[in-house]
Parts: sequence; structure tokens; C-alpha cells
Amino acid sequence: MKKNRTKQGYLLNTIVIVVLFALFQVLTAAMGGSGSFKLVLAPCLWQCCYLIILAASLNLVLGFLGQLSLGHCGFMAIGAYTAALLSLACERAGVFEDKEGPVFLAVLIGCILAAGLLAALVGLLVGIPALRLKGDYLAIITLGFGMIIVNIINNLPFCGQDGLSLGSASSSLYKNGLGFGSKGKVSYLWVALLVTLLCLVMMFMFIRSKYGRAIRAIRDDEIAASASGINTSFYKIMTFSYSAFFAGVAGALYACANATLSTSSFAFSNGGILNSTFIVVMVVLGGMGSLTGSIVAAVIMFLVNYQIKNGTWVTALPAAVQGVFQYPMLVYAIVLIVVIMFRPKGIFGSYEFSLINLGRDLKAVRLRKAAERAERKEAKAHA
Amino acid sequence: MSTFIQTLAVGLRLGSIYALVALGYTMVYGIIRLINFAHGDFIMVGGYTMIFTVPMATALGLPAWAAVLAAIVVCALVGMGTELIAYRPVRKKGTNMTALITAIAMSLFLENLAQAIPAIGPNPKVASQIFAAGGLRIAGVTLEYTTLLTIAISAVVMVVLYEFTQKTRLGRAMRCVSEDKEAATLMGINVNHTILSTFAIGSGLAAVAALMYMAQYPKIYTTMGSLLGLKAFVAAVLGGIGIIPGAVLGGVVIGLVESFTTSYISSSMADAFVFLILIVVLILKPAGIMGKNVGEKV
Amino acid sequence: MKRRFLSILLAGCLAASLTACGGTKEESAAPADSGDSASGEPILLGTISPNTGNLAAYGTAIMNGVNLAVEEINAAGGVLGSQIQVINADDQGDPTECMNAFNSLVSQGVGLIIGSVTSSCTSAITDSANEEEVVLTSPSSTADSITTEDDYVFRACYADSFQGAIAAAYAKQAGYAKVGVVYCAADTYSKGLYDSFSAACEKYGVEVAAVESTASMDVQDYTNQFASMVNAGVELVYAPYYYDVIGPYLVTQARAASYTGIIMGADGYDGAPSYVVEGADLTAFNGVYWTNHYDPADESALVQNFVKAFQDKYGEIPMAMSALAYDCVYMYKTAMEAAGSADPAAVRDAMADNSLTYECVTGTFTLDESGTPVKGATIVFFASEGSEVTTTLVDVVKELPEA
Repeated sequence: MKKNRTKQGYLLNTIVIVVLFALFQVLTAAMGGSGSFKLVLAPCLWQCCYLIILAASLNLVLGFLGQLSLGHCGFMAIGAYTAALLSLACERAGVFEDKEGPVFLAVLIGCILAAGLLAALVGLLVGIPALRLKGDYLAIITLGFGMIIVNIINNLPFCGQDGLSLGSASSSLYKNGLGFGSKGKVSYLWVALLVTLLCLVMMFMFIRSKYGRAIRAIRDDEIAASASGINTSFYKIMTFSYSAFFAGVAGALYACANATLSTSSFAFSNGGILNSTFIVVMVVLGGMGSLTGSIVAAVIMFLVNYQIKNGTWVTALPAAVQGVFQYPMLVYAIVLIVVIMFRPKGIFGSYEFSLINLGRDLKAVRLRKAAERAERKEAKAHA
Repeated sequence: MSTFIQTLAVGLRLGSIYALVALGYTMVYGIIRLINFAHGDFIMVGGYTMIFTVPMATALGLPAWAAVLAAIVVCALVGMGTELIAYRPVRKKGTNMTALITAIAMSLFLENLAQAIPAIGPNPKVASQIFAAGGLRIAGVTLEYTTLLTIAISAVVMVVLYEFTQKTRLGRAMRCVSEDKEAATLMGINVNHTILSTFAIGSGLAAVAALMYMAQYPKIYTTMGSLLGLKAFVAAVLGGIGIIPGAVLGGVVIGLVESFTTSYISSSMADAFVFLILIVVLILKPAGIMGKNVGEKV
Repeated sequence: MKRRFLSILLAGCLAASLTACGGTKEESAAPADSGDSASGEPILLGTISPNTGNLAAYGTAIMNGVNLAVEEINAAGGVLGSQIQVINADDQGDPTECMNAFNSLVSQGVGLIIGSVTSSCTSAITDSANEEEVVLTSPSSTADSITTEDDYVFRACYADSFQGAIAAAYAKQAGYAKVGVVYCAADTYSKGLYDSFSAACEKYGVEVAAVESTASMDVQDYTNQFASMVNAGVELVYAPYYYDVIGPYLVTQARAASYTGIIMGADGYDGAPSYVVEGADLTAFNGVYWTNHYDPADESALVQNFVKAFQDKYGEIPMAMSALAYDCVYMYKTAMEAAGSADPAAVRDAMADNSLTYECVTGTFTLDESGTPVKGATIVFFASEGSEVTTTLVDVVKELPEA
């Protein structure tokens, strides 16, 4: 029965996803040419895609393994530069000319895969020494690693400032490599969505597998886990590297969505929403140990950030509120502190949203609320 | 030869500041085992306080450095406020991880709050000269008096802090709390009170560090604390976190590494080397240069 | 109870920080209601600038320049009988945010855009501008490749290859045979200038004897770098950094490291005198030369009117960034008048016509085939006078000398 239910769940999810995806394709075909779809919706979806992958993949390390990594954007940088350089190299070697056709698609997929694999490899190399340390030390080491990566990329003769981020190279990345313009973003939107979906499926499968159970055991009590025969270092390094893989994939999507790469975008903290700190914020907000929480938090953070800056409704607000919106970072910091204080486990906690269990979960919530109410009533009656 | 001495002088100059900042870090970490990411931002708070109080001090006829007194008070208050508002509630409910994230959030909060205050704003500010210029000339290289003074202050602070934690009642209470909170409570130590005093002292030290930083590098900006704090933390970890002389040693080592990398290896990779050194040391000796390896209690 | 107290405290903090910044929002340029002679729809002018984040100072400078120009134009009856309405978007100095800002402006129907400040941001949107057929004029993105032939992208400043070469030409003219460079490898601006300077040095036969770099643009200590310049025996050091390290750090430390030669810089030095340490030895600033877009002390009526109007409105001497942003608006005005319409395609054609002359604060110029102004650079130098550092004009270089 139990097994059946899991299977039913997968089936239901697949059906819903296929239907949604088909609907989406129809929608794209119908409105792909319109201005607001091309200018607003498509770029937003691209950005959501890589933010979702990033947040969810960090959650593997932060929420499920219980280790704080502050250098997640370092892996993303590796992915982004790998994909960009590889696509440029392919173009120069004459593998593809126009950004169309099956050959380009193959290159695109290849770049995304290569980005993920290289990031995973670096994750392995960093993870082996770093994961011997715990907690705070690991946080500092990963932070340092993020800085070193940016520093190294800056000093490599073929990337950094010399290769990609300067205007000429960046527009060549745009025109020749896999950087997409507005139209390209619409026609290849399905790739981004599909990649995101695949990544999420892989992550969900991972946390439900025996590996996932093992790393949760390590998170809850490392000593007990190792006493139960779990090879803790192996699982830790594997998860770290697995998570780095997805960060690399997210980097490749980032490179597609942006015409230019600049190492300052991947620094520990910069002006923008995309940096290692904010990915941690997304994970914490969504709930450490809930992939669906990370997805929701990434989308919410993106929307808030986007709307504060670009929403036309903002101008209709009173000046005081607009003044606050000039300092979005301040608002995020306060929100983060408040969330940690009142919901230390994040908005979703470790709850995972699932279609098949939706009815059951809703019922459970209703029952719990009713029970609470009854309890309160009783307490009042006692008083 | 003169290059060597010049590099040494620069290394000491940077190192003395890292050492002073690292002392504050190690104080707090030693007691509550929390990387206080906001410590670097306390330095920023101290710096901005002095931007406003130095002109006042000179107007009153006091020497410019007297402005540090106000900064110490402000920093101590900010530090205690941070502990009361953010760290204490989280420490009660959350895990180590949530505490660390709160520290990051506090750091973000302070940096962006400073930017939002109209009198501070996003533009950097430049301090006025605090100590008269001049220095010792050795082999054609000037070793600034300010650098020597910073080293002297670090040494004094180190000795005083060490004696304080060894000899005084409060200091002993701090060591107890750092070892075992529950046992300390049983011994009649008010844990919350002790932690609060630690924050006051640590943040006050940040103000002193801010003074010496400003005396040598007179630019104050809202994000100045993040990299400075990080490097100081690296210094504290390198020396053995929680160990007061270790912080000073670590600070000087980091400063020297940075300076010698710039001069002899690659001037644009200095930051990378600082972290590389940290990684190597932590792998070889996880408790830091002066730290003792302690087995884990089960 | 304690929890409630805490939440009240937090709410208090929140409210306090909100009110702290609530007052600082400046109303952007007065919309169409200020002019009553206006007829028809206002012309939408989009601006993209880093209003928050590390480069916020530039965002403010850009907005001040644009708002001043737009107010002047609107008060004088607008362009082609229509008022100009400014819509500002913030990019935080980040390429992704810049792209979002661009897209949102375009979807609001903006056809003319001024922006963005840094080359990395602008290069993220140049091809979108071409694809969407929106005219984009950058006030200050100096990377060579921002503008190309047959496109919708223009700029008001000269390119890196010109600015770096001017400095090299100056070194050649002044007779310095051995020069050195201290730059930041991780920064587009610094690196771009280093590249063009060293290329031009080779062309002019000036030897680059020593090159040192820093890891970021806000490193505190430059002593070691300058000590190695002293060891290499160079007479001029090209150091492309921004005002916020030149004033407090770089120049004083270079002198403390016994470097006595010339320090040469670029437009990033603009504003450095207000970042000089009060009470420090200002003679260190003697012998610091730099290239700029304009000289605020220029006697011409155009410059003086601009500087006076700017000072009246904002109470400070305009930075070159403000002057360039101000010029962008007037470039659009000239182009719209030449085209007789505010339609992006028509404006683009007018601007692509290289014979159109723009009379601007930063010089009277035409655009070359790629869309970069053909104009001179101003070489100025700092000098200590009593308790302040002044800026004095050396030369205005119209074009690069032959090798």
C-alpha cells in the first residue's frame, strides 16, 4: 500500500507537470511575440529558474546535511564561466553558427552539463579538506573559498576581466556564445524550465533515497550516525559535491540569461540579490530542510526584489514607503531577523508540499487548528 | 634589503590592526561560540561615531583621540543591543546555525542601516589626522609611529584582557560560561549577565580598533567592516580562537602574509593567500597555532 | 510577555529605520505639469543608474545632471513642443538588475534611455537595445566595445582606448621614458585603462618598466606597490583608481614610500580633493596629473551656466559624471530636433548621422561611426594650496598625436 502510494504520487506529479508544461508551451506559442511576455515574463522566469536551483541546492547542504556553506556562489561562478567559455570556444571552432537547430541545442546542453560537472569536481576538491572541519570553521573556509575563486577567475588570462566581462568579449558572448537576447530567451525558455525541473526532480529523489536519510541522520547527530555505520565523511563530501553540481548548472543558466559576466556578481556580498548571503537567506526563509520551501522563498525574494525596483505600482505608494524601498537590503535584513526569531526553522520548516498528500495535509492542519482552539477553550473554562 | 624592511613595515601596520580587531572577536567567540559577523560592523559604527566626535573633541580643546571615549560607549551600547535584541532570543530557541545566520543578518542590518541614515549615506567619509605624522627611519624605510602605537596598544590590551580573564571575578565567570553554561549557572553565575558584559567589552575594543584603523587608513565607509572583520576572524582562528595571545599572533601573521604576498608573489592574489594559509593551518592543526586539540564529548 | 515585548521592540526598530530613510527619497524630475505650453504626450526619457549599492554616489550624480537638464528644457518649452518626463530605474551596479531595469523601462513604452554607468552593466543591455530598437546613450561607460557601428547605442564620454592613450601621449610629450602602472586586475575600468595605456606606451616608445596590481578597488595599502615602482626607477606611475582611494590612501602612501615622481590618473580622480585627510601633508598631491571630461573652471558660457545652475540647485561643484549625464539629455534634444520627431528609430538615424554637432558642457563634438564622441580630453593636475588641494588645467588634447 505504502509503495503504491509513492508510485501514485510520482504518477500524479508527472501528469500534472506534463499538463502544465504543455499548457505553458501553448501559452508561449500564443504570446511569445508580445512585448510584456518577451520583456518581463521571460527574463523573470529565467532568473527565477537559476535562483530556484541555487536555493534548493544550497538547502541540500544547509538544511539536510546541516553544514553552513557561505561560498555557494563560487560554484555558480565556476559554472557560469565554464559554460560561457565553452560555448565561445565551440562557436570559434565553427560547431554552430546560428543559435538555432539541433547542433546548438546539443552545445547548450553540453555546456550546462560541463558547467555542473566542473563545479562538482571543484566541490569535491574543496569538500575533502573543508568538511573535516565543522560548523563555524566550515562556514569560514567556504567563505574564503568563494573569495579565492573570484580572485583566481580575475587573474586567469582567459577569463576574468580579460576574457568575458569586458564589453567586447561580453557582446561576443552574447552574439556568438550562449548568451540569449530577448528573443532567444523566449525561444529557449523551455530549456531553462526543463533543466530546473530535472534538477529539482534529482534533488527530491536524492533526499528521499537512502543517501538522503543518511545525511539527515548526520545532521541530527553525527556521532550517532557514524556509530550506526554511516560513513559520515563520504556522505558529507558527496552531498557537498552534488550540491555544487546544481550550483554549476544554475551558473550556466545565469550565463545564458545574462549577456555579460562579471566576477563582482558572485562576490560574498554585493549590492544585488545574487550573492552567497542571499542564497542563505532564501534557504532560511523557506525552511532549512524543505526543498519546496526553498523554491517558494526564491520566487518570493525574486518577486519582491524585482517589484520594489521595477514595479509601476510603486510610484503610486506614499513617499515614505518609497523611501523605504530605496533600501531593500535593510528590509531583507529585518525580515530575516524577524523570521529567525519567531520561526527559527523558516516558513515551511521541514514540510514538503506534495500533490498527493495535499488533501491529507490540509486536513491535518484543520484538525490541529481545531484541537488548539478546543484546548484554548478548555483552558479558559478552567480559568 | 630595503624592500624587505618596507614589506615588513607594511605587514606590521596591517597586522597590528588585524590583531586589535581579532582580540574583540576572540573575546566574544571564546564565550558564546558564535562568529559575530557583526563585529566588523561595530568597527564601522565606531568609525562613524568618531567622524562626528573628533571635531567636537578638537573644538573642546581635547586631543583628537579623546573622541574614542564616545565611540567606546556607542559601540558597547550597540554591541549590547545586538546581543539583547537578536542573539539572546535566538540562542534560547535555535541551534548554532540559526545563531550564525542571525549574526550575518545583523551585519547586513547594520551596514544597510548606516547607509540609510542621511548623515552617513553611501558615500565614504574621510577622517581628519588623528596622530601627528612621522616615524622611525630604518634603512631608508619609515616605520610610522602610529604603527608602533597600534602594536603597543594591541600588546597592552592583550595583557590586560589576559589578566582580566584570569584574575577578576567577571573574567573567571566568562571562562566558566565558555566551558559549560549549565555548570556555570549551577555555580551561581548569571550567564546572561556575563555574556552581556563580554559583548560590551568586545564591542568597546572594536571602537579602539576603529581609532587605530582610522589613524592609519582614514577612510570610513559602510561596508568597511565586512572584509576587515573577516580577515580579523581568520586571524583569530589562525592563532587559536578564544585564546587571547593567539589573536595577536594570528593578526600579525595575517598582516605579514598579506604584505609579503603583495611584494614577492602576486599583488592581486593577496586575499586569496590569506585564506589559503587559513585553510592549510586548519587542516594541519584544526585548533589553530596556539590552540589545543580537544576531543569531542559524546 | 517577554515575547510580546520583543516583538514590540523589533517593530520599533523597524519603524525607526523606516522613518530614518523615509525622508531621504528625492522626488525625481518634475513631470509634465510644470510646463503649461506643453502640447500632447510627454516624451518619456528613461534613466538607468546605480541609485543604491556601492556605486550609489554615481547614481546620485547622474540623476542630478539629468534632472537639471530636463528641468531647464521643460521650463524653456520642452522639445518639439512636448515636455520630457523622466522615468528612473535602479540597477544597483549589477548586470542582471540592469537588464531588468532596461526591460521594465522598455515595457513602459520608453524609447530613449540614458544609462548605465559602469561598462559591465551597459554591456549587459546593448544588444537588447538593438533588438528592441531603443536608443541607449551611456554617460560614462568607457569600455571600447560598448558602441559599434550600425546600432542603437551611443555615449557621451570618450572610450578607454582614447583616455589611456592620452595619458601615454602626455608621458611621451613631457619626456618620461620609463613609466610604471599600478592598477586593479579585478575591475573593468582600471583594467581597461591599463590595457589602453600600455598599448599606447608601446606605440609611443615609452617603456613600461614595472606593473603592479591590487586585488580590489578598495584595498587600503598601496605602499608595497609604490616601493617596487621606486625600485624600478620609474618617473611616472599610471594609477587608474577612483577618488575614494586617491584622496585618503594612494597619493599619501606613495609619497611615504619615497616615490617622488608623477602620479597619473584618469577621470576617476574627479572629486578626490574632498576626500583628502584634514591635517595631512598636502604637498603629497603636487605632481598628480589626471585626464578629465571637462574643467569646471572653463570660462566658456556653457560650462559656467551649467556649473552655476548646478551649484544653485544642489550646492556643490558638479562632478564630471553629472556633466556627462546633463550632456546626454542635450544630445537627445539636439538629435530629436534634427530628426523632427521623438520616435526612437528617427532619433537613432539622426544620431548615427555623423555630421550632427552637439554643443555640450564637455565639449562641442560630433559622433564617430561607432557612436562615440570625437572630443578632446582635459589634462589637469592637483596642487596643494594652504589647507586644500586645487585642480589646475594643463592642456586640452583634441586628438592623439602620431607615434
